[in-house]
Amino acid sequence: MPQVVRFAIRRLGRGVLTLWFAATVTFLLLRLLPGDPALAVASPNMTPEARQILLHQYGLDQPLLTQYGKYLWQLLHGNLGISFTQQISVTDVLLQRLPWTLLLTISSLVVTVAVGIPLGVLAATRPRGFLDRLVQVGGVTGQSLFVPSVGIFLLFVFGLQLHWLPIGGAYSPGVYGPAWYGDVALHLVLPCFSLVLVQLGSYVLTLRSTLIDSLGEDYCVLARAKGLPNRKVVWKHGLRNALLPTTTLVGLQLGFLVGGAVLTETVFAYPGIGRGIYEAVTQLDFPVLQGAFVLLAATVVVANVLTDLAYGLLDPRVRTA
Amino acid sequence: MRARLSLVAVAALAVATTVAACGPSAPSKTAGGGSDATLTIATTTDVVNFNPLIGNSRTDNWITSLMYPRLLTIDANGAKQPYLAKSFGYTNPTTGYYELRDDMTWSDGKPVTAADVAYTINAILKDKPAGNTTYGQLVNVDSASAPSPTRVELKLKAPDSTVVGEAGFWMNVVPQHVFEPAGSVANFANNSNWVSAGPYKLTSFAKGQNYTLERVTPYPFAPNNTPTVAKIVYRVYPDINTEILALKNGDVDLIANALPPAQVKNLQAVSGVKVEQVPGLGYAHMTYNMKRKPLDDLKVRQALAHAVDYNAIRTVVLQGQAVSTGSSPIPPVLKEFVDPSLTEYNFDPNLSKQLLAEAGYGAGRTLSLSMIYSLQDAVTAQWATIVKDDAAKAGITINLQGMDRNTYLAKTAAGEYDIYAGNFAIMDDPTTNMALTYLPGGAINYSLVDDPALNALITRAQASTDRAEQRSLAQQAAKLVHDNVYDNVMYMQNLYFAHSDKWSGFVVKPSELLSVVDPQSLANVTKS
Repeated sequence: MPQVVRFAIRRLGRGVLTLWFAATVTFLLLRLLPGDPALAVASPNMTPEARQILLHQYGLDQPLLTQYGKYLWQLLHGNLGISFTQQISVTDVLLQRLPWTLLLTISSLVVTVAVGIPLGVLAATRPRGFLDRLVQVGGVTGQSLFVPSVGIFLLFVFGLQLHWLPIGGAYSPGVYGPAWYGDVALHLVLPCFSLVLVQLGSYVLTLRSTLIDSLGEDYCVLARAKGLPNRKVVWKHGLRNALLPTTTLVGLQLGFLVGGAVLTETVFAYPGIGRGIYEAVTQLDFPVLQGAFVLLAATVVVANVLTDLAYGLLDPRVRTA
Repeated sequence: MRARLSLVAVAALAVATTVAACGPSAPSKTAGGGSDATLTIATTTDVVNFNPLIGNSRTDNWITSLMYPRLLTIDANGAKQPYLAKSFGYTNPTTGYYELRDDMTWSDGKPVTAADVAYTINAILKDKPAGNTTYGQLVNVDSASAPSPTRVELKLKAPDSTVVGEAGFWMNVVPQHVFEPAGSVANFANNSNWVSAGPYKLTSFAKGQNYTLERVTPYPFAPNNTPTVAKIVYRVYPDINTEILALKNGDVDLIANALPPAQVKNLQAVSGVKVEQVPGLGYAHMTYNMKRKPLDDLKVRQALAHAVDYNAIRTVVLQGQAVSTGSSPIPPVLKEFVDPSLTEYNFDPNLSKQLLAEAGYGAGRTLSLSMIYSLQDAVTAQWATIVKDDAAKAGITINLQGMDRNTYLAKTAAGEYDIYAGNFAIMDDPTTNMALTYLPGGAINYSLVDDPALNALITRAQASTDRAEQRSLAQQAAKLVHDNVYDNVMYMQNLYFAHSDKWSGFVVKPSELLSVVDPQSLANVTKS
């Protein structure tokens, strides 16, 4: 069996174990939450009998082990269950929201990487220069920003004061055809920008510091001594090695992006999984929460597997590790 | 190297294809709509359930009530008025009836008949959709029948003079020919192919985004049987503050949620915005857990009642937008029932200290109690601190326990509190609400009171079909509640709704649930 396939299988096996663990922890944590799903969705003047009926409908009157067994069995068959509140399958609930989360997180990741790499390189090649200092201050400030605060500030300035951009949602009702795509792009600007703002710092600072280290390594010194132009030394030799930690960061950031997206989507009323999680928490809709967290865990696992594989491509030593 | 590049290219292509396949896609233009105006309304939550027999969130109610008519409606004074039912009442103590109008039809052309109403009631009784408010109100109903296309009869297990009015007001009538084939109404999602009895029918939705409803004709409560606006679009925003920004921006025409008190004056001063006042039908209150000592002692409850400056709360927190109920559980908007002889507990810390001394407190023995409230309820969270500070002046320590709504509800249901602080949204019928609030086992009997004299008054009022006698019994019960501090009703809040001044003709209904988005209101609004 080729080395790369064995490597991929090992990583996937670990991923499956991680998923099972995440699913189990989610199941248990939800049942430790204070509150009662029946009370969260029903009328306040519900009788105790009505509450029992609801708990029975939800299957929450069964022993915990029975509930867990049923949950895992359904999960193994790709069935995420039925939403307590909406009476439709959790898969449908999530599929309605997944495209928006994908659009938001992937576009913010692409913008962050596209802006972060050149900025990090520029800072690293002119250490202690004006741009480097600016990048460092900006990077640290960006890392300390709180997504909702940034979101509300952007809404106020660009939405309310300047009227340049819409203040919520993913598109305007009543817009169809090609104009719809432009409308979606306009609605994407603020939430995407706020995510980029808070994650850009990590990329730039990580890349800057690793690239400075790489450029001081013997092979870069040798390359320079052999007369290779500085641009080639930086982009071809230094950056390739410096990108390894940044690649790891991209994988890890996917997990952060998911968390960040919950807040961003809530602030901007963006109709993705994050906003769905917020609503499911308020309604204690266990199946939706379980499904959403399994989906998010799967996203992080897949992202990490892809990161490992990319790592393997960038650094052949990893494949034999 | 080439193999590696190929692998990267294939991976990139796979990711791109996945994103393209999973990415959002443009909605298709729905048929109809015409060129008439669209009214865009802001809300803060999605529809949880399109089945009105299950869903009971505000947005569920606002949207499904535009499609599924109620038998009765309510006027600005809280009096029940005909809607789908032309008349209603009792033929004898155990038989109620509704006589329906004959000019309402479902959007697929079938008439709205007594069979639909009887089906709805019987389905609720059989399938017990427990999230539904009506199920609890039908406790004395044995069955419903339709002896003619326009007459519905309720066979009661025991005399109950409140059920016809309450079920008539709260229950949405659903089309039998759509709901019956789906099986149990408790599990029917009803999330496509809607059939409406107007004025509007849901035609499309995008969760987290918007809900589009289109005009249905004929609708007999609109001019020329035609709702004035072609489309209603509900847009979802994260909170009331963003909704206000959207209204100022011109993105929406009306905010469905009531404004926070602090925003009312601000918005009244904004050019292009108009604010409508709606009388409240609910009240804010504190209840003292009488199953816990020393709250079972009347002197202690009286001491607590006299240790709060109610007027300061109404002036400072509610910005003058609330009225006193005279510490009575009958809100003043219910003019037929209100008893003006009841007066509010006066704020008197010295009297509180004296009452506490009579109860054995003072001289080194202090009274310390906890008070629970929901942190999601910003107004209650604000007045809770005033209650704490005022009580301290009377020598009473109140430990505030603000918590998230789900924990608060769980603690309330379990009776785990000394003092409960909160709101009741709609108390539209004094007798029904006193039964729920003060009878032993009542679903919202948070003081856990069980007073035989009070029980007798409420039970007699429930059984009486003589309106004058019922009023007298309810007033006597309210006086008992007031004098014994079985409930400390602090104020009834008027509600305010903001809309663009380009729109007019809103019909005001009491409570946030009905407000200016009730079907009769939205079918009559006009754009200048």
